Amino acid sequence: MKKLVGKVTVEERNEIRSLFERRNGLAELAKIIGDDETLYERLVTDMGTTGARFQQWWDKMAEKYDWEQTENGSWQIDFDSCEIYLTE
Amino acid sequence: MLKYLVIQLDDTSVSFCHYPTADTAPRMISASDLRKGILFAMKENLNIQFVYPQRSLPDEYLSIIDSIDHTKIKPSTADDTSDADIVVIDGMEHAADVAWGSEQIYILRTGRARMQDIIPLIEHIKHIIKRLNIVITDIDTFTQHDFTTYAEVLHKTGEIVEKEYLAGNAVQINLLTDRMMLTSMNNCNAGHETLTLAPDGQFHICPAFYLESPDESCGDPENGVSIRNAQLYRLDHAPICRRCDSYQCRRCVWLNRHTTLEVNTPSHEQCVAAHIEREASRLTLEGIRRIGEFMPDVTIPEIDYNDPFEKHNNW
Amino acid sequence: MDYSIKETPESWQEGMAKNITFIVTKDCQLACKYCYLVGKNTKERMPWEVARQAIDYILDHEQDFPEESVIWDFIGGEPFLEIDLIDRICDYLKTEMFRRNHHWFDSYRFSFSTNGINYHEEKVQRFIAKNREHLSIGITIDGTERKHDMNRIWKVDGAERGSYADVVRNIPLWLSQFPDAGTKVTISSLDLPYIKESVLHLYALGIKEVNINVVFEDVWQSGDDRLFEDQLMSLADAIIDNDLYRHYACSFFSEDIGKPMDSKTDNGNWCGAGRMLAIDAAGDFYPCTRFAQYSLREKKAIKIGNIHDGINQNRLRPFLTLDRCTQSPQECIDCEMASGCAWCQGENYDAAETSTVYQRATAICKMHKARVRANNYYWNKLFRKLEQMGEERPQSKLTTVKC
Repeated sequence: MKKLVGKVTVEERNEIRSLFERRNGLAELAKIIGDDETLYERLVTDMGTTGARFQQWWDKMAEKYDWEQTENGSWQIDFDSCEIYLTE
Repeated sequence: MLKYLVIQLDDTSVSFCHYPTADTAPRMISASDLRKGILFAMKENLNIQFVYPQRSLPDEYLSIIDSIDHTKIKPSTADDTSDADIVVIDGMEHAADVAWGSEQIYILRTGRARMQDIIPLIEHIKHIIKRLNIVITDIDTFTQHDFTTYAEVLHKTGEIVEKEYLAGNAVQINLLTDRMMLTSMNNCNAGHETLTLAPDGQFHICPAFYLESPDESCGDPENGVSIRNAQLYRLDHAPICRRCDSYQCRRCVWLNRHTTLEVNTPSHEQCVAAHIEREASRLTLEGIRRIGEFMPDVTIPEIDYNDPFEKHNNW
Repeated sequence: MDYSIKETPESWQEGMAKNITFIVTKDCQLACKYCYLVGKNTKERMPWEVARQAIDYILDHEQDFPEESVIWDFIGGEPFLEIDLIDRICDYLKTEMFRRNHHWFDSYRFSFSTNGINYHEEKVQRFIAKNREHLSIGITIDGTERKHDMNRIWKVDGAERGSYADVVRNIPLWLSQFPDAGTKVTISSLDLPYIKESVLHLYALGIKEVNINVVFEDVWQSGDDRLFEDQLMSLADAIIDNDLYRHYACSFFSEDIGKPMDSKTDNGNWCGAGRMLAIDAAGDFYPCTRFAQYSLREKKAIKIGNIHDGINQNRLRPFLTLDRCTQSPQECIDCEMASGCAWCQGENYDAAETSTVYQRATAICKMHKARVRANNYYWNKLFRKLEQMGEERPQSKLTTVKC
């Protein structure tokens, strides 16, 4: 089941999309980083920071827009329309 | 619509524009092709400009040339320049030997190395001549440093010209005074208003096209003009130029092709040079108008760019 | 509460992304009859060092590439013939974008257009698994077996052999990995009778988006436009009568095409040449792959620089200032069916009377007009049906396909 529960601004969409892309990029980079310890440490730190910023975005938006929620549900964003869906 | 026919009398005829004078063995146009060219111009109502080499022409040629009203373009180093309408000084090193006068128009071809010499030269001839056209021959390879120098030279030249105008001497220096008097584009227009009959008896866009690509002719006097994609030589088919108000720009289609591979697209360097001239003209005009009215129909607004291309995303 | 993210759309960052193409090889297993690559060969394979220098140049000049996103595109010939090189390039790109803190690290894709023949191979599959979140892969399958095998034949001496069977076996695997992927179909004169069956066949294979275009080259025969129109109308009937329009799209049908265009407000260039960058095995830069020598029948390649000297911005100016009307004949400017009529800048250049990109080739004129007529039929029929069913007009899933 998927229900439209809200919408974010384009700027807000851009922010989460950029974090989403970075998180994916870091995950795929992690598969190939070899012996370069400096880069590896930067990557690990970045993954932590990006993950935290990602979570903060959802927390901040949930508080700002007060979206409907359910116990086993999750929110989903449509990057094209900026719409937020509740899925179960 | 064609208005002018340039007849290049010899492969080594003097260059009056950006391209270099050919450093090859002389080859004259045949007397027969010369006659055909003149006949074509007469029938098409074209003004003829004969471009002479340094060496003298046979008497037969002189008499054919004299059969039609025309303009003579001769190198300053020719044996006799007294009958020339336009005298070309092909390099600053020849300037000292010129017998300057008020009856002729002068074209000075010079490169960046001697740009600074333009200032004392104009100081020297400002009361003698009526008009000097300056062609900076290596504009396509200018660096930022060269553009800075160019702007300084034109600024100082502008100060000289301003004083002369205020004193009542309307001397014309193309780079500065043309824009002060123009309300629309006044470019070379090779391929659109001007065509060249070369020593091979064929039409070419201009002498530079002939010297660079002799096989690419565009017709001949007997079979007529045949320019493929002729529209690309017109201003309305030049996306950058048609939006530009550096009306004095030569808009050299040969340089365009040389630098951007398209005859209708100028290089960054050509645009910047034209805009430096435009700005120098604007300041000179402003100075002249401080004293009184001058060319009231002409406006040169202050702009914040040196190359119209910078604005192409807003078009 | 948990949350999840909906997948990004397929037309990823359209208009916002720089497209940078590595011509990794000029070799291909196939010798497709309509292929515009006249200079394919087995020798010009991109050396790693050239690829690395190209990447270093591009990433070193971040200010010259201000686009928000980048699509690193790999073409051939057949790009997956060089999977080892591609894998190395992509690893280097990811590492260097991150190391340099380049803004593209947050917004990039690796894009491939493949013949699909070695899609299943271990090296290719390993590469896909490794880069799954950043891939866009299109497999070219031309439709039914007979349509596909008419053109897409193996490069072998002796008897002609089609490649359909070698491609179709990989379609399920491809769709399982990229369920929303579309395929690109090319139509030449001999293919016209098979358009309808081919599009329907691709739908039956599970491909929901069929991006299809007629070749730009001057190959069209008398009567082809009528045949084309009949095929499209027949296809329209099948799509509408069987309700296929609900889940499948064919780029031939678009509400936006076939209208007059304003010469001032609608004067943009169709093609992205010049806004893209292509690099070949020698390290030369091109405004698009169609300007590399192996794509050109008649003209000399247009190079806009190389990995050593960088980009010659003057060479880009004609491309970046091209507009529709300046390159079009008056007939096109005045055309009542102008919108959606495409052109390829490379083909324009190759077919032009002089060495210019400012002369639009019009070989597809009658084919476009036939398409418009069939397209009008499609929408009139579909809207009437929806009206009678009491439904709202759907938005077409695709607009026209750009090169």
